[in-house]
Amino acid sequence: MESEEQARNRFQSELEFVQCLANPNYLNFLAQRGFLRERPFINYLKYLLYWKEPEYAKFLKYPHCLHMLELLQYEHFRKELVNAQCTKFIDEQQLLHWQHYSRKRTRLQQALAEQQQPQQQPPPHGNAAAK
Amino acid sequence: MSANTLGSQSDKATKERNKNLYLKPAVFYFYFRELIEMLALSRNQKLPQPGEDTQILELLVQRDREFQDLMEVAQQQGKVHQEMQLLEKEVEKRDSDIQQLQKQLKEAEHILATAVYQAKEKLKSIDKARKGSISSEEIIKYAHRISASNAVCAPLNWVPGDPRRPYPTDLEMRSGMLGHMANLPTNGVNGHLPGDALAAGRLPDVLTPHYPWQSSDVPVGMLPPHHGNDFGLEPPGHNKENEDDVEAMSTDSSSSSSDSD
Repeated sequence: MESEEQARNRFQSELEFVQCLANPNYLNFLAQRGFLRERPFINYLKYLLYWKEPEYAKFLKYPHCLHMLELLQYEHFRKELVNAQCTKFIDEQQLLHWQHYSRKRTRLQQALAEQQQPQQQPPPHGNAAAK
Repeated sequence: MSANTLGSQSDKATKERNKNLYLKPAVFYFYFRELIEMLALSRNQKLPQPGEDTQILELLVQRDREFQDLMEVAQQQGKVHQEMQLLEKEVEKRDSDIQQLQKQLKEAEHILATAVYQAKEKLKSIDKARKGSISSEEIIKYAHRISASNAVCAPLNWVPGDPRRPYPTDLEMRSGMLGHMANLPTNGVNGHLPGDALAAGRLPDVLTPHYPWQSSDVPVGMLPPHHGNDFGLEPPGHNKENEDDVEAMSTDSSSSSSDSD
């Protein structure tokens, strides 16, 4: 049984570690050193999925890490991460997504609003269009 | 039903007997004629033939009595038969009532079963919704946090070459708790901070940049879930892994964000 302080330290270290997984370069680093092939590490990654729960997720500053964590559950993904080109590609795509996030989102909402318009003959409510 | 058959049997017997008697009226007539003729003859002839007359008369009377009795029995049987028919009708009526009730009960049961099932489904979904309920305020707070720090959406003035990223950078990683757990050797390439202080691996606590991703504001009660097994790691091994990670990170050339894409 661990003391409360030990538990808190473990909390913080796991919080930091799981967010580090958002960094594709770090993932490449881990892959190249063979950590992603070790069974204990793979089990640890599965254990870290608890960060998806709302009461834990609210502490994450970099939510991209959750997506990476989900992908890391798959062996195929872990194998591919050894390749530096692969992680570079992931990095680029991640940055592009990050840059164009707000634009993509407004476009998506416009598309949704247009879809809803033929269904509603009377003018749509304010909250539907202006989300 | 058995009463019915008995009734019909006695009916049959009566009919049989009546049939036998049906022949008799013709015979009666015959005998009667004969009798009258004989009486007429005897009156004319004045021959005493008392025996035959009285015998025939007595037979006639006897037959008549039997006939009357049978008629009474037939009448009674007829009454009983009528009553039976009435009762049968009653029974039929009751039967159809029962069937009607049966149908209604079945319908009611069906409706109730459907209702109960839907209610159970609703309860399940209520439970599910309750489990996943989060206060809207918290969601808004969280959304604000991750947006304000540009963790989800790039700052509007971001250009390639800007060191900010949607993930923790080298610098941030090394200045965290995990970074400090390790003993960092001196290293060459540094993306961000100049100077040997970071390269030496130890910054004086005062200067340690403290990033909000390291959760200084963890409420006291918040603890990570317990894990029984060690994932196959021994406790010292766990820390060692982190040391290796952090130590070697600095030598990873591709991690530096100073090269422009």
